[in-house]
Amino acid sequence: MAADDVSRPDGRLGRGPGAPRLPAGGRLARKLVVGAGLAAYSWAAAGTAAFTTGALLVVLLPGAVIAAVAVWGPPARIPPPDRLDVTGLWYWVICVAALFEWEASAFKDNSLWWHPALTDLINPLIAPHPLKSAAILLWLLAGWALVRR
Amino acid sequence: MVTRVITIIGFACVIAALIVLEIIGRRRTSRVPTLGEWLGYLMRARAGRALILLGWLWLGWHYFAR
Repeated sequence: MAADDVSRPDGRLGRGPGAPRLPAGGRLARKLVVGAGLAAYSWAAAGTAAFTTGALLVVLLPGAVIAAVAVWGPPARIPPPDRLDVTGLWYWVICVAALFEWEASAFKDNSLWWHPALTDLINPLIAPHPLKSAAILLWLLAGWALVRR
Repeated sequence: MVTRVITIIGFACVIAALIVLEIIGRRRTSRVPTLGEWLGYLMRARAGRALILLGWLWLGWHYFAR
């Protein structure tokens, strides 16, 4: 997702024009601390076994944080376009629909070995702990990117 | 075996197409929106915002909790 077109001054914390500014060193330190925290969380989260309360909480906790941020303390939003080119948008619609259709056809066939669903292909890929950690970190970053939209 | 390979190739082609669209969308003169642009467009309304964030949460639950 394009995040380089944020319409806010550099260093602004993102809660209005009166919000305090951090010095450059502070911004870097904040990024490092947040990055290390997210990486540590992802690593710990990847250690939970599927179908357990721990695994559920690992997903629900970021969900609650993102929801709270979205409702009570939204960061500076990346302004959405006023309008989208219909033709350009249709390319996306066709591809996303194709992905859902391909997935649905596998799901309809009970996701047998000879016609696997996307989940059956991705789960073995993210089975190793480091890769699952990376996937969780990516998911967390995607959540943050979405809340800024 | 052949059917499985065809299924995997199908997924790979669609995902590759999505990546190509994102690359095309990032060109300055492109009429194709980026993923962030059309998601942002959908998220202008409160309902769209809630649905997209719920989709994100579902994705996490689907792949990491079960």
